[in-house]
Amino acid sequence: MKVFFAFGLIIFLAFSGYHLSFRKFKVPLFAHKFYLTGLEFLFLGLLLGPQFLNILDNKTCEGLAPATALLLGWIGMLFGFQFELAKLKRFPFVFFEAAILEGLLTLLIVFSGIYISLPFFIELPDHIKICVSIVLASAAACTAQTGLAFVSKKNIGQYQATVRLLRYLSSIDGLIAMLALLFLFMYFPARHSLVIQNFILGSDTFIAAASFAGIIILFNLFLIHRKDQKELALIIIGMTIFISGFASAMHFSPLVATFFVGVLLVNLTPEKEKIFNTLVSIEKPVYLLLLVFLGSTWHIESVWIFGIAAGYCLLRFLGKVISGAAISKLGAKMKTYPGGIGFGLIEQGGLPLAILYDFQQGFAFEAANTIVGIALISIIYNDLLSPNLLNLLFKKRT
Amino acid sequence: MINKNTNNETLLSYIMILVILGLFGLWIKGIHIDSGRQQAGMIIFSLGFVMLSAYVIAQIVKATNLPLISGYIFAGILAGPYVSGFLTVGMVDRLSLINDLALSFIALTAGGELRLSSIRRQGKSILLNIIFMALLVLGTVMLLIIYMSAYFNVTSDLNPIALFIFAMLIGVICIARSPSSAIAVINECKAKGPFTGMVLAVTIVTDVLIIIIFTIALAVSKMLMSGGGVIHMTEISGLLVEIMASLIIGVLLGWTISAYIKRIRRDFLLFLLFIAFGVARLSLWANHIMAVQYDISLHLEPLLICMSAGFFVQNFSRSGSYFLESLERMSLPIYALFFSIAGASLNFNSLMLCWPLAVCIVILRMAGLFGGSWLAGTISHDPTIFNRNAWMTYVTQAGVSIGLAQLAAKQFPEIGVHLNTVVLAIIAINQIVGPVTFKMALHRVGETGKG
Repeated sequence: MKVFFAFGLIIFLAFSGYHLSFRKFKVPLFAHKFYLTGLEFLFLGLLLGPQFLNILDNKTCEGLAPATALLLGWIGMLFGFQFELAKLKRFPFVFFEAAILEGLLTLLIVFSGIYISLPFFIELPDHIKICVSIVLASAAACTAQTGLAFVSKKNIGQYQATVRLLRYLSSIDGLIAMLALLFLFMYFPARHSLVIQNFILGSDTFIAAASFAGIIILFNLFLIHRKDQKELALIIIGMTIFISGFASAMHFSPLVATFFVGVLLVNLTPEKEKIFNTLVSIEKPVYLLLLVFLGSTWHIESVWIFGIAAGYCLLRFLGKVISGAAISKLGAKMKTYPGGIGFGLIEQGGLPLAILYDFQQGFAFEAANTIVGIALISIIYNDLLSPNLLNLLFKKRT
Repeated sequence: MINKNTNNETLLSYIMILVILGLFGLWIKGIHIDSGRQQAGMIIFSLGFVMLSAYVIAQIVKATNLPLISGYIFAGILAGPYVSGFLTVGMVDRLSLINDLALSFIALTAGGELRLSSIRRQGKSILLNIIFMALLVLGTVMLLIIYMSAYFNVTSDLNPIALFIFAMLIGVICIARSPSSAIAVINECKAKGPFTGMVLAVTIVTDVLIIIIFTIALAVSKMLMSGGGVIHMTEISGLLVEIMASLIIGVLLGWTISAYIKRIRRDFLLFLLFIAFGVARLSLWANHIMAVQYDISLHLEPLLICMSAGFFVQNFSRSGSYFLESLERMSLPIYALFFSIAGASLNFNSLMLCWPLAVCIVILRMAGLFGGSWLAGTISHDPTIFNRNAWMTYVTQAGVSIGLAQLAAKQFPEIGVHLNTVVLAIIAINQIVGPVTFKMALHRVGETGKG
């Protein structure tokens, strides 16, 4: 069975490679979507993982821990770089409010839904249930822009304002997810080095502030003198591994830590452009590798997982549609945007994948892989649905 | 001899970086570790710490005109188990997979830097260098150990046959070089020219031949140990199969890489990463399958596979320059990572135990290298400046030598511990001295800054 599956996947990947080589080759919309988001790498990971070829076994993954930490850190830092105040100010402030409201409402809706319904499907202790709900809600709150690649040029031209808002929302709403994760990593009871009471009372606030200050000073010292591209790559890779390792050793999230470092860097360092260019230069490989690693831990235990994933997907859809409707009520300016803007926010993208991987690395309990498996299937559902829903949004407007 | 380009302000900023890194290191060393996640975090942090310190120390070292890789190695030694203990032996072991990946990238570069045209042009000189240096190094080291054995604690209690085997195996291991160090210094110095081409070719070809010579030495040693008079050919033929298989896989891989560059090109580094990982895993898997299923001890060499792949792309496709440029972009992090871990792996306990013998062997090895390269260069009518300085580029030794010593130690447990100790001590000295002499030689022949 394994051999046949492996063979099937190899053919599939070969086809994928063929498609990449001859980009004019026409494929159906859903398949085109599949290739654009790189989801085939998820299946490559599944093929390489313990369920099939066992090339990426547990020992190998342990050996590759620094590489995976680098991936998480890279994505975190890259996302942090989206929060450059000077650039954010170019957009109306109501956009920012809208993005926060949209992310927050989706998070709350999905969190409530998961928290109430999860015990019917998986037995989990109460504190784990909260963790799982927060993680799945955080992943649900994020939106990606890739779906817009499927909108016709005509629609983009005709609905420029809507497309602009969609782009803005999808770049910013992940902030809510990051804050939720920050809360989660402070809250989780298995952690001994940092507990929420300490954080509120101040000792851990001081530790966190001191470490962030130290890291920013370090980064700036490295960048004091002119560096060529190779040196910059070494410094960014080294610093990302350094921060991710530091965060993990402190029982914290590498993704969240590097996100905040990214936010600070983009607003405080004169070399931000160079750093950003280096980060972006390998964004796609980083994202694809993350898919491979996630795929390798993917467990599809039974068919019912697909049903639960559909439920999760529906919950997220409700969250996006409701929050989309809510933001159009945010003021006179927002009323010009369609109430169904939530239809354009279904694509999930790379950040949720990083959140799931971070969760998997940080919370080693039995059902973690199952939870991640459910979320992955839901991401696939969302990615497949997104182009049709986007078209629906613009068709409605027409 | 401080480089004037590096001013006080720069040095001060580097020192401040080291202080802050050190404070973070002390902080994290003080925390209580109570989970696997934290343990993994410590290893990841240590890797980042060592990479960044290696970069800074290399920049400081650069100010004294020493090669960058000496700085990386020095940083590794400082962070390693024998000085600060920041990186423990266990941590270094757990980084071996990352290290293997880095080595694959370096081997691809080494193969890619080797030009067929330069080998053809300097074929005679390359061949003579290999032969004379191998013979002289083997001869001088063997004679030293055999005739001076009574003066060294590790050899004084060996019986004549064990002593002969010990001397022969150490002599053979001394022939090995370090292509990774060679390519790192050449890249750093942007060296190009006939001397650089010859040195690289000699180093890489020796790295292939050493496996053959070592297997023959092992077969002779086994014969002597058992008291019989027949050399079993199974091992030698098995070895030839191994080398051929590695070369063929390398060529296929090279063809795949060039086809990828020609057809797709996108995400090439990601593709190379898959290749490097694939080679490391494939070698392990094939060796295991052959041993378990067919009782054949096949040891596919990842280094050889990657070097031949790089060689194929450079010399038998039109993608050579794109291939090397892509590798070059990631070279600095890879060198910093690889050589700092190599520094942390250097065994100073062994050096302490047998430093008098190790120092004598290192000096005689250098004499052998000088004699061999001078003789070969003179016969081939190479420029005198080449003949005087070539030996300095062959001093570095690393992974292959350690691997051979471990293999020999397994085969002959009677002398295994001594052998391993002496080889590790020799490598510790050669890996510190070698890059420095290499850079000096490239400067002296005037081939730096031309690549």
